[in-house]
Parts: sequence; structure tokens; C-alpha cells
Amino acid sequence: MRPHPEQAELLPVTARPEAAGTALRPLPRTGVAASEATQLWVAVQLPVTCDASQLEPLALAVQRFTPRVSLVPPDALLLEVKGSLHLFNGLAGLRAELARECQRLQVAPLIACAPTSLAALTAARAGKPLVITTMAQLTSQLAPLPLSALRWPDEVRARLARLGVRNLGALLRLPRAGFARRFGVAQLAMLDALTGRSAEVRVTFRAREHFRRRRQFSYEIEDHGLLCAALAPLFHALGEFLTARQCGVVELEVRLLHRHAPPASCVLALAAPCADAARLAALWSEHLRALLLPEPVRAAELRAAALLPHLPGSHGLWQPGEHGGSENAATGELIERLRARLGADAVHGLSVRAGHRPESAWARTAPPVPAGTQPPRREPAVVSQLAGRRPLWLLPTPQPLAEQAGLPRRCGALRLTGEPERIETGWWDGAEVARDYYTAIDVHGVRLWVFRERRAPHGWFLHGVLG
Amino acid sequence: MVVGDPNLARLLEHPAIWRGRSARARRGLSSGFAALDAHLPEQGWPRSGLIEILVGRFGSGELSLLLPALAALTQAATARWCVWVAPPLMPFAPALVAQGIMLERVAVVGGARPLWAFEQTIGSGACDAVLAWAGRPKLRELRRLQLAAERGRTLGVLFRPRRAAREASVAVLRLDLEPLPGGARLTLLKGRSARRDAIDLQWHDAHASAS
Repeated sequence: MRPHPEQAELLPVTARPEAAGTALRPLPRTGVAASEATQLWVAVQLPVTCDASQLEPLALAVQRFTPRVSLVPPDALLLEVKGSLHLFNGLAGLRAELARECQRLQVAPLIACAPTSLAALTAARAGKPLVITTMAQLTSQLAPLPLSALRWPDEVRARLARLGVRNLGALLRLPRAGFARRFGVAQLAMLDALTGRSAEVRVTFRAREHFRRRRQFSYEIEDHGLLCAALAPLFHALGEFLTARQCGVVELEVRLLHRHAPPASCVLALAAPCADAARLAALWSEHLRALLLPEPVRAAELRAAALLPHLPGSHGLWQPGEHGGSENAATGELIERLRARLGADAVHGLSVRAGHRPESAWARTAPPVPAGTQPPRREPAVVSQLAGRRPLWLLPTPQPLAEQAGLPRRCGALRLTGEPERIETGWWDGAEVARDYYTAIDVHGVRLWVFRERRAPHGWFLHGVLG
Repeated sequence: MVVGDPNLARLLEHPAIWRGRSARARRGLSSGFAALDAHLPEQGWPRSGLIEILVGRFGSGELSLLLPALAALTQAATARWCVWVAPPLMPFAPALVAQGIMLERVAVVGGARPLWAFEQTIGSGACDAVLAWAGRPKLRELRRLQLAAERGRTLGVLFRPRRAAREASVAVLRLDLEPLPGGARLTLLKGRSARRDAIDLQWHDAHASAS
């Protein structure tokens, strides 16, 4: 009987990826006669010329033969086909169909069949297209295969070679206790799995899921608010889809279809996997404002390509902001919203750099991490020596000032106060300066930070506002 | 109903009930200037709401006025952000650090739509304080900003030119700032139970003492 996909999920031998690490029970041995194997595994071994990226498309294609497909990275697939043999007119028919499928995908793999997965894999890796259908034949058919097919470490193989063991037959004849003592229990367990003495657990390959949903509107929409409302069910469906799978998206494509014009596409990119439909819808609404649509919209489609595992964080007991409640969600949302509307570089943080010239004493950084995730770090002590000696505002480039009787003017004469501060040199990066900085007060009482070039023609420049 | 009734007193403790006399009972955020704290309705800046600072010229000392309070906000263990929306010049990071501001909590938002960014930031709940230099907001927009500030429990500071004093305002506090040598003269134009006379402040920094 061909296992139903849902049943295959429940079989103990198939482990779901998220269950990895938990205890797995081997398949209970059923009382079937030894002559008839309970399972039949087909190993598909890709030639060395193929790379690992071809494995997954092939796994997707061969899922039509059986739901129990396992990946053996980097270069092999295992299919349990016992249940689907009758659908393909027996093993010969299935192998022929499988070969055709591989030909269609332009790979030429080596295919071997055996009642245990490891035996099939070993035969395929040894380059022998064996077809073993009963447990009785298993050991005798495997015996002539070389040891290299097991892909054990070279050191183990060298030690076995010194014992005179060069093929699987000789290996299987070694006494179990001595073998386990010399080569380890893991290798013995592998031999047991090879001969079917113990069951082997294989993780079933599951195809990546995609979300793609389309909604046809009963009338053409040209209003922004209506369009957001019309897409709300799609976002709701996406939210439920993601929540059910504990997944999030980092990229979401919204396509708007028109009567004549080609579809408009808008891609929402998120900083972290998100499964919150309301947040995605809000972000989409921001993007929509920036979108110029040529025609009214007749249909819309949501596409989420890659789903990433996403475990929603636990919510705090306190509301954000009270008693130290977490702000992480609010800050992340704020950045995304601002960037969606104003552009990616509209939000930035500030940092201090070690530099004596004002221009090189600061830098733009990525926006600050949400508060509370790290303790505030202290700035270097060198900064505090300058306390009060620096303006709060800096002009991007110094602005030349008019001059009268050797003193700078800006809407009237500037009055210089305090001691000058000399800032100079910088030959190592080509931005050499030689300036005497003064604090000046203009006629309106605004305190300015001005400097006089020490080199001819000794011009005056405005460089900052004390604020 | 008796004034000394304990049940009534408990009822009146509810934060949603605001009485003229109780304004002084709420503690605001200390401005760092004792003379100013004594004048402000909550003995300091309000912790949420929109305030307006009117200046004749950019750089008259409006930032020096706020820096002690901003430094205290950003140094708190559970501080939220302090966001600067559309500042006319770039704030100079070393000077901010010298004044005690934690740069990890500071973000600068540029871009073409300062009022929209201001409203988003102030209402997001992610910020302790938002400083904004927005063009000429209309009364309706100011009303939205004030509501957003209360929603986000954020102190919003809007810097406006002095001619805006003629326009109506919904800000909880509105003051006019005029530079003096080494300090500034503040006039409270609007505020709950605030005194209206002018206050002269001296800056704490070294520049002021040198001049």
C-alpha cells in the first residue's frame, strides 16, 4: 500500500526536521517473512560532476514516486518505494520511469535498490546498479563491494586493510565484539543498519513551501484606501499561513494587475523574519503611497518566496516604556516605516571617532539598537576633555565669511570671545588643516564657531553653531 | 461630600483626573536649571506632550537649554530613543557626548517630510524625546502631533521661528528664547499654571564662562 503523505509523517522512521535531536524510535519489526522485505529503498547517486545544488530539484521531481524521499548530502537521494511499486508496474517500471525523470533533468545518476537504505546507498556509491529485493540476498549481493563505498575515514579503512579486509563480505564476517572494540560502536551500528539487523532513521525531505494568493476584485480600484482594504484579506491569509507554520518572511512581493498596463510589482523587505500580518499590511500601505500606478487595479497577488523559521518572542508583562518594558518591537517597526517612506538612508545614528579635526571626529552609523538589549557603553575619556569646547552643530563644509579690518562679518561684525584653539595637521590622509578656532557672537547673540586659516590668504570661515 | 473623605481622596489620586491645584504634584523632567524648574508647571519639562520653543535665530541656545534634560533621559537604564527629526545642521557627536548624551540612544531622521516623520516617531512609543525642526505646521497638524505625543508618551520638542508666537498653539508648553551673553532669557508664553515673567539662565558650559 502506498503510504498516504500524512501517514508517512506519522511513521516513526521518518523524522521531521524540527524534531531532530529528540529521541526517535526505530520502526517496530513486523512479523513478515524474511524472504519478503518490508521496505524497498532506491538510492540515486549523482555522478561526481554534479554539484549539490542539483540535489534539491531532483528531490522535488522524484517526490512523485513516493513521499518518503530523503536527502543524503552532498550527492545522493534515497527513496522508499515499497508502497508505490504497484503504481508503476513493479520495480522495473519504476526504475525506467525514474531514469526518464533523471534524463529530463539532465542528470545521469546511478540507481541501486535494496531492502535497507544504507545497502542501497552503498551499492550505488560502489558504482554497482544492484537490484536486491529480498533480505536473503542482501548479504551475498553486498559481499563483493569495496570498503570505499561505506565512506569511512581513511584511517579506519587502512586499519581494516592491514587486517586483510578489503570488501564488505570480509567485513561482515569479522566477530562483532572485537569489531566494536577496535573500530567503535558507531561503525558496528552502521553495519547493523546495512544488513537490516537494526532499522535506520531517515529524515523525510519536505519541499519548501511558498505562499502565493491572488484576489480578483469585482470592480476596478483606484483609491489608495480602498486598495489597502481590498488587500487586507490577503494579508490576513498570509498571517494565518505563517503563524500555522511558525515561519516568517523577510521578503514579500505584492503584484497589482491592471487591465492594459503590465503588472506593478512592489517588494517589501524586512529586517527580520516577520509573521505579523498587521505589520506587513502597514508597511505595504507605506510603500503604496510611494507607488505610481498607471491604471486602476483589477486584481492583486501576494507572493512570499522564502519562508524562514520564526519563533515570536514572548511578550513582556509590562507595556512598552513602563517599568522597563521592552521597546524592541516598536523601534524595529519605526525604522521600517521611516525607511519605507523616506528612503533607506534617512535614518541613522551618530558615533564618535578618534580624530582631532572636527570633520573626522564623528561618523554616521546604523540606527541604534533597540534600548535595553545592551548596556550603554561609555565613550572614550578623550571626549570629555573637550567638554564645552566644541559646538553642538557642525556645518558639513566650512562656509567662507566676509572680512572687514581683519575681523569676520556675518550680517554685521562678529565679536570674538575667549581663547583661540589651534587645530592643525592631518598630512597622513591628505586633508591637512591649519586653523585657529574662535567663538564668535553675532549681532543677534548667536554663538558661532569660526576659524581663521593659518595659511595665506588667512580667510575666515564659519564651521559650527554653538546652539 | 466631605473634602477630607478618604474615599474621595483615593478617587482623586487617579492619574486621569487633573485638577488645577494638583499640577504641582506631578514631577516633570528636571531641566537641569534650578531657576527654570521653579517656573515650569511640573518643576521640569513635561514627560509627554508637545512643547514649542520659539527662537529668533537658529542656534540661539535652544539646544543648550534642552541638553541637560536629554542627557538625563538617555542615561537612564531603561531609556528609549532620543530622535532628531530634520535638524538644519548635523548635530556634532563629540559635543553631545561631552554633554553627557549617550549616542546609542540617539537617532537622526532626515528626509523630505519632517512633519510626517515627526508624527510617526513621536507616536511610536519607541522614543523618550523627539526634537523636530519642521517647516510651518498648521494648527490641525500641531493638534495631531500633540495627540501623537500623548499616545507615545513622548516629549516632543518643536523648534519654530519667533513669528509663530502670533499663531494659536495646542502645545502643553510654549516658550520664547532670546540669547544673552553666556545664557538666555526665557519667556513662558503658554503653560498650565505657569508664571509668565521672564527667566534669565546661564549656560553650564565652558564657552559661556569664557565669554
